[in-house]
Amino acid sequence: MSDAIRHKLTPLEKSERRLGFAMLAPAFLLLAAVVLYPIAELIRNSFHFNHLAQPWMGTPFVGFENYVKALGDDRFHEAVWHTVLYILVTVPGAVVVGLGLALLANKPFAIKWPVRLGLLLPWALPLVFAGLIFRWFFEYNQGVANAILRGLGFEPLNWLTTPSLAFFAICLAIIWKSSSFVALVLLAGLQTIPKSFYEAAEVDGATKWQQFREITLPMLRPAIFVALIFRTITAIQTFDIPYAMTNGGPGNSTETLAMYIHKTTVDFLDLGYGSALAVLMFIVSALITSIYLRHTRRDPGRH
Amino acid sequence: MTIRLTRRMLSLFGLAAGLALAGTALAQAQTTLRIFTGGQQRPDVMRQIVDGYMQRNPGVKVEVEVGGATSEQQQQYLNTVLASKDSALDLILIDVIRPAQWAAAQWAEPLDAYLGAERDAVMARYLPAYRAANIVNGKVIALPYFADAQFLYYRKDLLEKHGVAPPKTWDELKAGAQRILAAENAPNLRGFETAGAPIEGTVCTYLVPMWGAGEDLTKDGKLNLSGDAAKKPFQLWADLKEAKVTPPNLAEIPTDRIRQNLQAGNLIFGMTWGYVWNRAQNDADSTVKDKIGVVPLPGFTADRQSTCIGGWQVAVSAFSKNKAEAAKLARYLSSPEVSKQQAVLASHLPVFAEVYGDADVLKANPWFAQALPVVQAARSRPVTPRYTEVSEIMRTNMNAFLAGTKTADQALADMNTRLGAIFR
Repeated sequence: MSDAIRHKLTPLEKSERRLGFAMLAPAFLLLAAVVLYPIAELIRNSFHFNHLAQPWMGTPFVGFENYVKALGDDRFHEAVWHTVLYILVTVPGAVVVGLGLALLANKPFAIKWPVRLGLLLPWALPLVFAGLIFRWFFEYNQGVANAILRGLGFEPLNWLTTPSLAFFAICLAIIWKSSSFVALVLLAGLQTIPKSFYEAAEVDGATKWQQFREITLPMLRPAIFVALIFRTITAIQTFDIPYAMTNGGPGNSTETLAMYIHKTTVDFLDLGYGSALAVLMFIVSALITSIYLRHTRRDPGRH
Repeated sequence: MTIRLTRRMLSLFGLAAGLALAGTALAQAQTTLRIFTGGQQRPDVMRQIVDGYMQRNPGVKVEVEVGGATSEQQQQYLNTVLASKDSALDLILIDVIRPAQWAAAQWAEPLDAYLGAERDAVMARYLPAYRAANIVNGKVIALPYFADAQFLYYRKDLLEKHGVAPPKTWDELKAGAQRILAAENAPNLRGFETAGAPIEGTVCTYLVPMWGAGEDLTKDGKLNLSGDAAKKPFQLWADLKEAKVTPPNLAEIPTDRIRQNLQAGNLIFGMTWGYVWNRAQNDADSTVKDKIGVVPLPGFTADRQSTCIGGWQVAVSAFSKNKAEAAKLARYLSSPEVSKQQAVLASHLPVFAEVYGDADVLKANPWFAQALPVVQAARSRPVTPRYTEVSEIMRTNMNAFLAGTKTADQALADMNTRLGAIFR
């Protein structure tokens, strides 16, 4: 088959093709160096014992031992469960809030900069800063949250040392931080919807709510999917905000999978086990992305 | 006119180029050493000390790099630097709990060869605990920079006002704090604080009462958590919490927050380290200057007081490109001269017994007169190459208990399971 194709190529086409490969090569090599090689190394490590605090043990091949250990590790199960909860709450949360922000920013305001700044600022802020800011909001003594509670005559709450409240506080911080990115994606989508659709609907006597449901939402579906994919992938990797706000505490009750991997590799220097955990996270991440991708391909809204 | 200007400019360029060349030549003759220290180990004082060293050693330039505020945050960063064999750091200030781990990971250059014939004489001068902590399997892994232990800080003025004597037992502390809290009735005033956040210091929050009950985490290399002594720390902190002596948010208190609360005048008793004295006396925002007293930590009985040993050591990185010069600086940083300088400037406890009696040191820190026996009797956290894991297990379980998310039995059972896998 390939021989047949090659036969049909003229010398000019052949040299064009060679040039094409040559021009792709640098990008491919770079990608191989920074993505493929580390992933290969990660998978290799995950089948070995490799604990930098115990260099005298060497790095023997241990087969699936690290994976078996992960399956029986309660802390791994808890970390996965916490991560799933963060995804379930913060992904829809960010999309709903982000949609509201996008609709607001799409309004023909006379002065546009306050809305745009409000949209861009949380996005431009480093994650760990957002985490530190929210940590002070929810701090027991000096925090804004407890100041409000005291002002209203309630007892102050231990926001960051009660598991359910800490989870709530972290979700709030993540939604605040990530909804502006979602809003930017959706705003781009909103601006592709022709004005004439709304004018026609107006003429037919559709209410604002009907216009939103019948025109805005369906037309926005591809953009919402893009936002969902990006947001879900980053939610699987949730690390910075809980790290800065609670460092996984109280106990391990707000620890995510990425935090547990970080702790295992960077703190405990257990590269073998940490790599196995990272491979498992990679598989989960790839699976969820492929489900999304399949869905978007079937999505009639694309056409 | 233009020609003259150009000429002048040319000669200026020439001069500048010449200076630049001379500058590079000088820089090449100079050794640059980079030392890593933590934000809480008074990097400002470290800078003063190395400035003095640079004046006397014009061929050496010392840069001070400042890292995380808590011991485990610093170690996180250092783990990535050293696991990748980075040569950027020449000297590193490490916590007293680290030498065994650093020796096992081969991150510290053994200093025996650099000390040469003087090795034994040099090491003999340090307090025995620091000599022991820094020699691992017969090799000198680091040299002590300053000593430390946990003490009980108290508000002298409040205790005197309400007729409370500095407590020698936990019961006395509880009763005294309750009396003062009730009489003062100030909304921001707290009775007692120790580290409760999931940080390194919280390991001592568990171990101090356990030692006070007469046991240690390990016995003959085996985990020793089955007896009553292992439950004592949980009982003590639960008791103080119930008595409302500790604040409801103890589980989010890291080490330096105790100092901040003390300095703001919001704390009666604090279990914390030596550095706090100098800050409380000299910081511009301190409201408690001359109102602080320091005594040994209480015990369950007055005759059995215990405390955690701390302190920081200078290690030479195994990946440094200037090991000989770095070792020289390490020796200087662990000299009696620097020990005294730190004691005066930062209330860092000396690593030499004789410095405690120095007149200047005592003038800056009157309580150092009683501090030497405390440091000498202070105990060590478990010594193991896998200390980061041991520490994490203890501090997260203690933290979960203090937050009320685990009962004492759950926390103890989890500690048993996970520590049991390490101390096999």
